[in-house]
Amino acid sequence: MSTLVELESIGVAFRTKLHMGSKRFWALENVSMRLNRGDRVGVIGRNGAGKSTLLRVIAGILSPDRGRIERANASCQLLSLSLGFLPHLSGRDNAILSGLLFGLSYRAIARCLPAILEFSELGDFFDEPISTYSTGMVSRLGFSVAMQVEPDILLIDEILSVGDAEFREKSGRALHDRMHNGTTVVLVAHDDEAIRRICTHALWIEHGRSIMYGKVSDVLHAYHQDTQPTAAVTVRT
Amino acid sequence: MRLHMLELIFFSTYAELHAERSRSYLGFAWWLIDPAMQMGVYYFVFAVALKSTAPDFLPFLLIGLTVWQWFKSSVTHGGLAIWQSLPLIRQVKLSASVFPSVQILADTTKFAFIFSLLLVVLWCTGYPPNATYLALLPVLLIELIFASAVAYLVAAVVPLIPDLRFVIEQILTVSMFMSGVVFSLQDVPAPWRTVLSANPMTELIEAVRNILIHAQWPDWIALGRVALISMLLFAAALLLIQRLTPRYVKLAS
Repeated sequence: MSTLVELESIGVAFRTKLHMGSKRFWALENVSMRLNRGDRVGVIGRNGAGKSTLLRVIAGILSPDRGRIERANASCQLLSLSLGFLPHLSGRDNAILSGLLFGLSYRAIARCLPAILEFSELGDFFDEPISTYSTGMVSRLGFSVAMQVEPDILLIDEILSVGDAEFREKSGRALHDRMHNGTTVVLVAHDDEAIRRICTHALWIEHGRSIMYGKVSDVLHAYHQDTQPTAAVTVRT
Repeated sequence: MRLHMLELIFFSTYAELHAERSRSYLGFAWWLIDPAMQMGVYYFVFAVALKSTAPDFLPFLLIGLTVWQWFKSSVTHGGLAIWQSLPLIRQVKLSASVFPSVQILADTTKFAFIFSLLLVVLWCTGYPPNATYLALLPVLLIELIFASAVAYLVAAVVPLIPDLRFVIEQILTVSMFMSGVVFSLQDVPAPWRTVLSANPMTELIEAVRNILIHAQWPDWIALGRVALISMLLFAAALLLIQRLTPRYVKLAS
């Protein structure tokens, strides 16, 4: 099995304030993981553990301040809804703009427009400015555009379920299909059920450190055994 | 990859221009009304109130203001572009130079309209088209490179030191007076004249004036010098953005 991304003792620091001499804050301190082709990895950990930061490192948006990262020649995309949407543009133009930001070519998006129109169920509203849309309509459009992106590695921060009950089910199904067609996935989720259903592996991180990486059931079991998070972490450092 | 960047820049420029139109009642008309009002103010102050008697003062002023305004808007808009796009830069892997490029392209589009209007005004006031118009293309191209270089440079630094944006406007106003936009450099005492003529914008504005008013070919050697400076600055600024991009993502929001 080929390795797509390998992280070795990664650390990422942010500046806390814009003032001169402001301190650095290490969002990730020491995380290691290996992502093989076809893996579906669920990232778990408490709030502020560094899960979203980790996704942005894998996506290549953040470069680590220490540690080593190696990546094979594979495209990688962090899935965000309504990326770059502008209120005065029509649904169609926003779909194109968002698609371009996701790294698709103009031709590729133009080809996807009928599918986006159909999936989003926007009808004639597709050519109206999205400032006239309801929140539900904007998120339906956002989801439909995001679904057109087909990277080698799909990064998802929280399960994207949007719209009313009916659309939620439809989008959930589409996402499920997308993740089970051999795509490599890294997923941040708070509910165990989703991770059990979708993932092949799980990574547990706490306070910016990777605690455990392995089979989903083992990691989830250990995670829930760990009732005193802070104490446990100090033992491990 | 390269093509994709261009597509993104062009489509974003379209979106930017579209936004401006939909944010006002008169839409595109402002592209002409705004500079026309500014020209009117300067004309009133210098020609009417101060009674400037310099020959060809009206075309002198209009050309100076039009050419300067293009540079100024590219630098102010382009210079803030990366800082304003930080939320997007945190979400997606992109070259940050896309954002100032979009602003510069949008301002260049507007300049094209204003410049065409200027030409019509000149033709109607006794300055007909002439053969030296051919030199406009290289002269304006060099200005585009110079304006982009300065805009990229400002854009690269503003995210790290946002306070700069309070200073930019003042620096640009001073630079305007040092570029011979509203008065001729001939009126400036000798030692200062040499200092001011080292300014690339002075050279470019003079070149456009000589073409449009006097049907005079530019000083190619001086222009070549400006072109060289502009291209070196352009390359340095792009490199700086590339080097600083990893830091933009880690800035406090």
